[in-house]
Amino acid sequence: MSKPSPDSFVIDGKLALPYQYFAGRTGSRFLISIRDEKKIKGLKCEKCNKVFVPPRQTCERCFADISENWVELENAGTVTGFTIIRYAEPHQPFKPPYILAQIQLDGADTSLTHIVKGVALSQMKTGIRVQAKFAKNPTNSIMDIDHFRPVKPKFELGYSYDDLEIGMSASFTKTITESDVYQFAGISGDFNPMHLNEEFAKMTPFGTRIAHGALPQSLIAPVLGMKLPGLGTVIPEITVRFRKPTYFGDTVTATAEVVEFIEDRRWVKLELTWTNQRDELVAEGHAIAIPPTPMG
Amino acid sequence: MARRVGICAVAQTTVEHDKWYERFQGMALEVLEKLREQVAVEFSRHTGKAGIDMSINVSDDVFDARTISDNGMTDVLGAHFGCEEKVAQEGIQAIYYGLAAIQSGHCDQVLIIGHCKESQPKSRNMVSHMAFDPFFTRPVGLDFCAAAGLQAQAYAEKTGITDEQLAKVVVRARENAAKNPYTPEIEPVSAETVMQSEMLADPIRELHAYPVSDGAVGMVLAAEDIAKKMTDRPVWITGVGNCMDSFFFGDRDLASNFALRKAAEWAYKRAGINDPRGAFDLVEISDQYAYQHPMWMEGLGLCEEGKGGDWIDNEGPDKGRVNPSGGMLAGNPLILGGLFRAAEAALQLREDAGNHQIDDVKKALAHGVMGPAGQFHSVVTLERG
Repeated sequence: MSKPSPDSFVIDGKLALPYQYFAGRTGSRFLISIRDEKKIKGLKCEKCNKVFVPPRQTCERCFADISENWVELENAGTVTGFTIIRYAEPHQPFKPPYILAQIQLDGADTSLTHIVKGVALSQMKTGIRVQAKFAKNPTNSIMDIDHFRPVKPKFELGYSYDDLEIGMSASFTKTITESDVYQFAGISGDFNPMHLNEEFAKMTPFGTRIAHGALPQSLIAPVLGMKLPGLGTVIPEITVRFRKPTYFGDTVTATAEVVEFIEDRRWVKLELTWTNQRDELVAEGHAIAIPPTPMG
Repeated sequence: MARRVGICAVAQTTVEHDKWYERFQGMALEVLEKLREQVAVEFSRHTGKAGIDMSINVSDDVFDARTISDNGMTDVLGAHFGCEEKVAQEGIQAIYYGLAAIQSGHCDQVLIIGHCKESQPKSRNMVSHMAFDPFFTRPVGLDFCAAAGLQAQAYAEKTGITDEQLAKVVVRARENAAKNPYTPEIEPVSAETVMQSEMLADPIRELHAYPVSDGAVGMVLAAEDIAKKMTDRPVWITGVGNCMDSFFFGDRDLASNFALRKAAEWAYKRAGINDPRGAFDLVEISDQYAYQHPMWMEGLGLCEEGKGGDWIDNEGPDKGRVNPSGGMLAGNPLILGGLFRAAEAALQLREDAGNHQIDDVKKALAHGVMGPAGQFHSVVTLERG
């Protein structure tokens, strides 16, 4: 009995009945595969050419028995619909607000209702790619998939052709030291005494040792390859005109700016400049870049 | 051709958020007494006299927290020693059921009384949560409000309906409800207030949802010959249709109105309606949430597909004479939506609607919906006798 009621006009009650629900053979197989193998499976109707999830024994369209036609689905899929639950009820799996979504797993034709985490509520939208995060402790229910999270790409690729705009720029700055010059001599095999022998260098027009021209020039590589356009870029052409020498201890800034679209090939042209701490133009030129194409 | 069936009397209680002063049976008794004021309701079938052949109760075991919820209603239904039935589907299905019983020749007179007190369970969302399966959909926290959120988002993405347009639906529903004596608690509201109300399940706001409701509604159906003797103002049931969509949301296109289209198609076919546009002088739809008002109108073929937003801006609801009662947004229990709508339509056809009576209502449509995100729809067409 529940506790006595405060008056004889209203009685507190609770509809609670200990109960065991049977998942059925098909439902059990589906849940076991998620729990033990972390694999989400669907059932395919060959006649309707449709893969259903959650599982069912019979195709609802043609009534064919499909209970043995298991197909393995990807653990990742696309959000086809969603809402943000903001009201609280005891039957909810997480404290609101949370995202409830329809997720169509790769390989399935129907979507699964589940929770999405790891997306700012204001940024949630249909079409995003998500992947299953499995529960640490088994629940023997669909919550053995704890939730779905956005698919994180293995690498954050740089700007694609469509992402780039005229005027975008990026740069990299480094102080060129004696040690850099010696290492560069080793890398290039250029042991010219004008870079390595101070007594020889005194006889040159510069009066002291200077860095190899290609050393400051190389500072544009991290700009083009890692910033603008960034990872995944291929550079088929760089041209340079050297304007000033780089002395040991100079701090050189390499800058690239998008100046032109080569529309027929979907490449871009970037203007390149190298400057030092005295605001002198060390070198200038341009590069042609093939920006990365989005993956997947 | 099956014999015609008429609605001979309709009655309802007021709908309030908490009728704490009345039991289920008390609400039902009020309905029965109001019906008896209109027509002779005889319960002496067991003595061989003509009278009610079948009493149908509309109620829900979980809302009432007792299984076989109808067996607590036997007295009020006059079902002692007679045929008693229960509809645990949407209440408008009782009309479908009664119609079938009469057209089959099994019965001549049917009494329908539905009751529900949404105030008594701790939360109606906890009740509708129980409609989901325990393995795949309950664990993710689904209930009818969450399901409606998924559908509203899908409908908004398909049609581009705006928060302003949805607010207009609520403002109008509450203006209409102010004229309806059966919805005494509903206050008019401004569009700004609607748009400032809290989000429940985006894009559904608190004021987009029908209020928690207690109430009862009922009617008497009879075969044509008896109906004509019972009343000089019968309302003929000209068409019925219903359709159940798939259980899992992923098997459905939530924005497609598939089940409603089918239900309407069958009802129109039975009623001999080729083009529903212009076929009705009154439409009463079960709009549990604001987005459903335009969406169901699209599904009924009474608003252009995907143009629900424009339809609202162009005064479609007034031109289409939709829900002068205030509709479900003015409140009535979930399980009785369609039965209340049919009762309202009958009042309008009989010119008994009082303050919210509209002119020249000769043909009407009543709609009910049950299950998550409009899984099941029922459409009834009616005509003034």
